[in-house]
Amino acid sequence: MSINTTDSVDGFLQGEKEPPGSWVFIALGVVISLSFLLLYSILYPGQDLPVISDLVPVFSGVFDSGIWFFILGTMIGIFAILGRLLLEATSE
Amino acid sequence: MDTVLSTMFYFWISLFIAYLLVQRGLWIFSDVAKGTVSFMLEKAIGPGADLVEGRTGSGARSWIMQGTLWLILGSMFTFMSMWLSHDPDALHSLASWGYSANTHELYSAGVYATLYGSVSMLVIGSGLHIIPKLAGTELASETNANLVSFIWTISVLIMVVGSQNNMILGLEIIPVGIVLNTAALIAVIMNQLLTLANRTRNMALPGWLILIALLSNPILSIVSIASGAINDNIGQWLSYHIFGGTFFFLGVSGVALYASSISSGNPLWSKTLVGATLFGGIFTINPFGDIDGQMVIDLFGPLANNNVIAFSNEDMLSASFLMALASVPILAFSSNMLVTLRGSDMFIDDPNASGNAELNLGSWLIIPIAIGSLFVQTDAVSGTNELVGISNSLSMMSGWLVLVPLSLGAALSLYPELVGRHLFSQSRSRWGFLMMTGGAIFGLSITMIADFMDLALAELLVEDPSALSEELRKVGSVMFYGVVIGSIFHSLNMVSGMFRGNLISKESVTSSSISVESYNLVSPTTVRRILASGADLDTEIIPTGENDEKGSATKL
Repeated sequence: MSINTTDSVDGFLQGEKEPPGSWVFIALGVVISLSFLLLYSILYPGQDLPVISDLVPVFSGVFDSGIWFFILGTMIGIFAILGRLLLEATSE
Repeated sequence: MDTVLSTMFYFWISLFIAYLLVQRGLWIFSDVAKGTVSFMLEKAIGPGADLVEGRTGSGARSWIMQGTLWLILGSMFTFMSMWLSHDPDALHSLASWGYSANTHELYSAGVYATLYGSVSMLVIGSGLHIIPKLAGTELASETNANLVSFIWTISVLIMVVGSQNNMILGLEIIPVGIVLNTAALIAVIMNQLLTLANRTRNMALPGWLILIALLSNPILSIVSIASGAINDNIGQWLSYHIFGGTFFFLGVSGVALYASSISSGNPLWSKTLVGATLFGGIFTINPFGDIDGQMVIDLFGPLANNNVIAFSNEDMLSASFLMALASVPILAFSSNMLVTLRGSDMFIDDPNASGNAELNLGSWLIIPIAIGSLFVQTDAVSGTNELVGISNSLSMMSGWLVLVPLSLGAALSLYPELVGRHLFSQSRSRWGFLMMTGGAIFGLSITMIADFMDLALAELLVEDPSALSEELRKVGSVMFYGVVIGSIFHSLNMVSGMFRGNLISKESVTSSSISVESYNLVSPTTVRRILASGADLDTEIIPTGENDEKGSATKL
């Protein structure tokens, strides 16, 4: 065990480095949530989703083209670069 | 004398005089000029100089990093223009913010961001590293080079905004951008000329390619205004293509030829071919790009008139002849690049040669795209206008499959030396290359197929647009999104590499699953470079004797 890779507070241990496998579980969680949303419409046909069905109409007419998914992807990429710059500049 | 030959004649004479002045100096005024320029570059900018660092290489680094970031915006605007060509209402919700997006304006924004933002900044940035190296001296003012890069970025930003709404507060915005841009370019030229004045050895030819490219920009602007070329569509078309052939083609050729030698470890194959590229670039008309000079009207604003006249027979003949001659410098450049890059790492395993794949791609594709462009331009010049429909796709191909790969490849090759570190990840570099190349080749080819379908339908006088053509445009635009992702990968890799890339003094770990049976050793090289090309312990090394030929090697 190295002092550079773990935080130790009164016997509590927490790794500083993120294991790559943890992302698999987050992705799995997202996929399962989406599956449950689909299941809802099958089990309760005709019934709107609570909360979400009230929010979606707010965005109707705004993000109503597939191009917005691509623009969103680019924005994530640009913010990843800006985030990297900010993090590296302030890490010391 | 006709418009084409007379304008070109004035341009050649002006460039020749500029070359003589650079070579011979300003007689007894040389020392005064040096002192004045030096003062203007450093002291005259006052407190502005304190805003940026002046360490060795910081100027080139700043230009290259900003050029790479512009790549994202350039590809994004181009992608959106392609999407809106089949779905014009996709961004209608932005109208509530007062912005009405349309495909033509987004296409213009993409062109400004890609050519002025990305390609120009990568070429100028690489030039700021290459010319001092080849001249055996230091850059005259790193501080000025660094500061001016931000002025250039602001000018491109103004041009991009102007492409969406050119009139703001009764003022044409794009000419304001180009004035700022020219001011920044003149500062770069002064910086490079002062560097050259302090040279300790004769500069190799790639350096001259870059310098002539820089000088050609303001000279062409003056010649176009003075000769009246910007007042009619023929002169505007000509100015656009001379600009493309000198500033872009020569600039990109210069940095790519230098980088091909640096990253492959091979000497530049032929000095004669570099000379042919240089003279051919100046004395011929480059066929890449649009079929009209609309960009010149936008850039010169109130100075340009919108007169439309038909090409005279003399103009048509001289333009077609000079465009056909452009195949000489293009072939010379391509062959020189490909032979120089021979035997080097093409699979992006060697961290010292991350740009080789891009350089190789641009060197291959420049020939078919040049031939296609020649057909389209000749068709437009002769007034036949049968191929006008594919001109946009072909113009985008020349940008995304020739100029961008060559300038980005050169910048990636120089990156370790400039930053002192390797790129963050070779794998990300490889993915960036694959996404950009795949996206551009498939996206633009599929769009061109749709263009051909529309041309065929128009010829048959079919009024309803084809559903299949629209579907193809949709697929083409989605595939082109790979270029956006590739640009993000490259930018992220370069930004991360500045902080966390392996130091170049440390040995880099490379691995390759590709092995080769034989390796042609054409010049002295390191074992690491041989291993990086895919060789293993069983690979047979075959020495070849090309260096014995007279004039075959250029030491950089």
